[in-house]
Amino acid sequence: MAEKKDSIWVKSIPLKEQIHVIVTLIRTAKPFRQMFFWALAFGAVFALLQAAAPRIIAYYMTDYLQQNNHVTFQVMLSFAILVVVIRLGQAVTDFLNAYYFTVAAEYALEDLRVKVFRKLHTLGMRYFDQVPAGSLVTRVNNDTASLADFWRFFMELTFVAMSMIGAYVGMLTVSVKATFLMLVFVPFIIGSVLIYQRFSSRLFRHMRERLSHLNAKIAESITGIDVIQEFYQEERFKKSFAKVNGEYFNARFRMIQADALLLEPMIDLLLGAATVLVFWYFGVLSMTTVVSAGVIYAFTTYLNNIFSPLESVMNLFSPFQEGMVSGYRILGILAEDTDAPKQNETANKIITEGKIEFKHVDFSYDGQHKILEDLTFTANPGDTVALVGHTGSGKSSTINALMRFYDFQAGQILIDGHDIRDIKRDDLRQKMGLVLQEPFMFFGDIASNIRMYDESITDQQVVTAAKFIGADKLIMDTPDDYHSQVQEGGSGFSAGEKQLISFARTIVRDPKILILDEATANVDTETESLIQQSLLKMRQNRTTIAIAHRLSTIKDADLILVLDKGQVVERGTHDELLKEHGRYYDLYRLQGTQTDTATE
Amino acid sequence: MTIFGKLMWFFRTHKRLYALGLSFLFLTEISQMVSPALVGRFTDEVVSRTLTIEKIFLYAGGILLFSLLMYVFRYAWITNIFQGSALLEKTLRQQLFDHYMIMDTTFYQRHRTGDLMAHATNDLSAVQRVASGGILMLVDSVVVIIFTVISMIIVVDWRLTLIGVLPLPLLVIGVWYLSPKIRAAFTQSQEAFSRLSNKSQESIAGIKAIKTLGQESADVEAFEIQVKDAIQVNKRVARIDALFGPMATVIMTLSYVIMMTYGGSLVIDKAITIGQLVSFSTYLGLLVWPMFGLGQLFNVLERGNASYIRVQNILSEKSAISEAENGVVEPAKGDLVIQINQFTYPDTDNQEPTLKNIHVSVKSGGTVGIVGRVGSGKTTLIKLLLRQFDGYSGVIRVGNVNIKDYTLKAYLQAIGYVAQENFLFSTTIRDNIRFSDMNKSQEDVAFAAKQADFHDDILSLPAGYDTEVGEHGVSLSGGQKQRLAIARALINDPEILILDDALSAVDARTEKNILRVLKTQRADKTTIIAAHRISSVMTADEIIVLDHGEIKERGTHETLIEMDGWYAKMFRQQQLVTEIVKKGNGKAGIDG
Repeated sequence: MAEKKDSIWVKSIPLKEQIHVIVTLIRTAKPFRQMFFWALAFGAVFALLQAAAPRIIAYYMTDYLQQNNHVTFQVMLSFAILVVVIRLGQAVTDFLNAYYFTVAAEYALEDLRVKVFRKLHTLGMRYFDQVPAGSLVTRVNNDTASLADFWRFFMELTFVAMSMIGAYVGMLTVSVKATFLMLVFVPFIIGSVLIYQRFSSRLFRHMRERLSHLNAKIAESITGIDVIQEFYQEERFKKSFAKVNGEYFNARFRMIQADALLLEPMIDLLLGAATVLVFWYFGVLSMTTVVSAGVIYAFTTYLNNIFSPLESVMNLFSPFQEGMVSGYRILGILAEDTDAPKQNETANKIITEGKIEFKHVDFSYDGQHKILEDLTFTANPGDTVALVGHTGSGKSSTINALMRFYDFQAGQILIDGHDIRDIKRDDLRQKMGLVLQEPFMFFGDIASNIRMYDESITDQQVVTAAKFIGADKLIMDTPDDYHSQVQEGGSGFSAGEKQLISFARTIVRDPKILILDEATANVDTETESLIQQSLLKMRQNRTTIAIAHRLSTIKDADLILVLDKGQVVERGTHDELLKEHGRYYDLYRLQGTQTDTATE
Repeated sequence: MTIFGKLMWFFRTHKRLYALGLSFLFLTEISQMVSPALVGRFTDEVVSRTLTIEKIFLYAGGILLFSLLMYVFRYAWITNIFQGSALLEKTLRQQLFDHYMIMDTTFYQRHRTGDLMAHATNDLSAVQRVASGGILMLVDSVVVIIFTVISMIIVVDWRLTLIGVLPLPLLVIGVWYLSPKIRAAFTQSQEAFSRLSNKSQESIAGIKAIKTLGQESADVEAFEIQVKDAIQVNKRVARIDALFGPMATVIMTLSYVIMMTYGGSLVIDKAITIGQLVSFSTYLGLLVWPMFGLGQLFNVLERGNASYIRVQNILSEKSAISEAENGVVEPAKGDLVIQINQFTYPDTDNQEPTLKNIHVSVKSGGTVGIVGRVGSGKTTLIKLLLRQFDGYSGVIRVGNVNIKDYTLKAYLQAIGYVAQENFLFSTTIRDNIRFSDMNKSQEDVAFAAKQADFHDDILSLPAGYDTEVGEHGVSLSGGQKQRLAIARALINDPEILILDDALSAVDARTEKNILRVLKTQRADKTTIIAAHRISSVMTADEIIVLDHGEIKERGTHETLIEMDGWYAKMFRQQQLVTEIVKKGNGKAGIDG
């Protein structure tokens, strides 16, 4: 049922695309190349030492032990010390290689994580309206995290390559001919790696797809348990889960089989075959010439050094693939061009009075259907302009255009006579206060929720703002007053309380222009009157654009625009509009003049 | 180790799998002992130049034979043992899922979705690791260590063996020492990760607020601080993780030194041959992994055990809703009589009853409206009707049968329930509507959709009835969701339909349409409507007003208006806004 989300697992990314992803990801690690370089350098030293140790022991065996050639205690000791030094060197370089590589990869992925996060903040509201928040969170966190495996794969790969080269060089110093014979195995090694890669990638993708299907099924069944039980569908869900569960098991079993067939057992088989070749070559050789014990020792040890690290690389294929899929998605976000609307480069104007003019503004979300058409109105400094109309009439779109969440296509929006695109972005945000329909509370305390990152706002200002709004009492009722914890999403506060705190957040910045997006919707009756009073106070001396579906709250507006299909169909004050006996009149009449005051 | 005992029921059920798996694992381990001995002998023969073609053939053939055998053995044990562990995971997961399906509301209040998910994923993978890695480590460390040491003694020399393997237990101790450290570091790393996750989750959910205030860069800075913190924590993980390999190298070096010096002098004294020394070094190599395994074994078992206990605890929880034995199987039908003296939620500190003295009876075919402020007990009453809680004093009867005496099937299938917020499944609209009976035809589905005034909406969607909804499908507006849920409840033509504020998001005209359909097409069926909006209940045969869990006012719309109490006041207040609110709702798309 969650195929859509994970369809990326259903088919593989084309090779060309894969290479592009790998190259781009490696490029993103450029700032950390020094650390990667040192990691590789230590790896090279390790490979060298790893190759040296068997060579020295072989020498010791052949030239001393085998021939019993003045093996004094001192000789033994010096060989032992030599081996100790080499192996200690191995231990140290092994540690440094692994540590530096992992840390470099960590820096690289965290860097990318911040980049993605920063990139998201440059994208326009259009993007966030279209892409589910959950998937973005996954991009920022889980996808970047799985890049750790992507890097680990490269670490193991370089490690194996260097170990192999070291081992072959070591062999070369023992017997040139036998070494060349051993090169026979290189194609076999590469072949078995490729075969495994081919098989496992398909099986792994399938398994991953089944797994996400399975998890989605569990999650959905838990979330929808009420409905399942109410409609008595438990048995059906158990059955359909058994199917999904079984499918995952089958996929996993196939993966197990592939691993058992092609992974560790296969590598060991190849090692056995290589040993057979060593036996054959040196056995036959020993029949004609002297072959020393050290040679056999060195060769069998080197073969081990070649084959045993292979497994760890092959084990990382699947995670590597996962990393690549993640990388693919991350690059997708970084390449996203749904940017937030930009201000003009020379934008340097600031808002002083707060006069707003819409001049023949056309606005569309998709470039085809006009949501606003030829919208024209003026809000003088300190005035309140109310937007009235059905859903889809263009009220919210007007705000989206004014707040620069979306670009408008034609016409002009002027503030204090300047084109809105010529006003400094910071000033725009500072002087225009939007109160959202659903206030959002951030993790932190109440004061930080009012301050919202702006450290120039003093504690006193926070309190003043809260008092002005009338939220002071409610805040003082919380356990730690202004420093009471706010959980993510503000659970523990009612919708009305959250709204009051968000008012304080807006008002503490003392905006010139106030934009109210149905700010009284979803509020319990208890806080409603408090909110109405606050709104009245907030609107004083501020240009206000208000969307309201309760006409009673905007009766005193200086201008009421009745919108329909993106066009102004009526405009005027409350009294004027009533006289017109048009739509506004209808709307207003519906609520009944008698009970009008009851809501106040 | 107790975890193996706890899992015995599973091992016993799959005897064959484990008998085969363990036998082949055993064979693999034994076969491993051959090659080092052959290498040693061969070396000696090379050195003494006693090899003939036949002998070479034998040695090489021996290696080849055992390599092939081991390939087969390995394949066999891996597929059997790992299949077993996957099977264990599958079995437990099904048990958990089946359990989740039958648990009651309090269970879901005690356990959050995330935790229940974690039990079905992380915990189960920790348990299956016991049955795969755990078994391997146990067998490896016991069998391989014993057999290798015996082989060393037989093939090489007992004195060299005993002294040579002396440093190896240090490896066990080292791994045993480092494992909890890396685990602790890893836990910290996960915590840092979830902090990052929460932070970004919040930023994305609150993007509009951040954009409004122009605080994008401040938010990125706040994120960067947490990222820096995560880097520090992950560095620590990397540091400890990078220690395991080098530690093995260092400890193995001690054994190598012993091999070179003491082993060397044995060679010189002719107590052992040089080939035996080569065998010895190979045998040493065989011991590294089992020592590692022994160090990790207890960790794996301990974690598996903890996870298994968590899973068993969940499985042992009982649902408070129990099926009546020999319950009435005829579908519930008839007059609804509610006589609740008192109900208090279980698992709460609140001693105050949530419902008191609720006595209502509805004739079959009647409609009852329930109104009252938030928290007055409307939804609680409905929960009792839905048998989500059985622990009340009093009785609810349908057709003169206590609802607890019906089988759940007979009772629940007679009820259609629609909430204010309705969960939709990630499937097509059609399958969501015929949720309670997948055998219903398209005609049935369309009929229910029409009743819920939703049919035309569906046709305007891109794929009509095949449109995917739910988490990854198209997003429906609140009003559309409610109407879909109404269709879902109506498709079975339920004896009792319960609407719990289920019309709150539909506009006035639609509400009227739906109420009219209910009135005319369900004339002989019972309907219960709980609502905030008076307009939803106005036409009911009886309206009850709840306040603090008690019936405060009751009557028809007219008598209640005459009474001029809370109901009348609400009616006047709402009348003003209703029409316009309704127009403003029924939301769709981006605007709103």
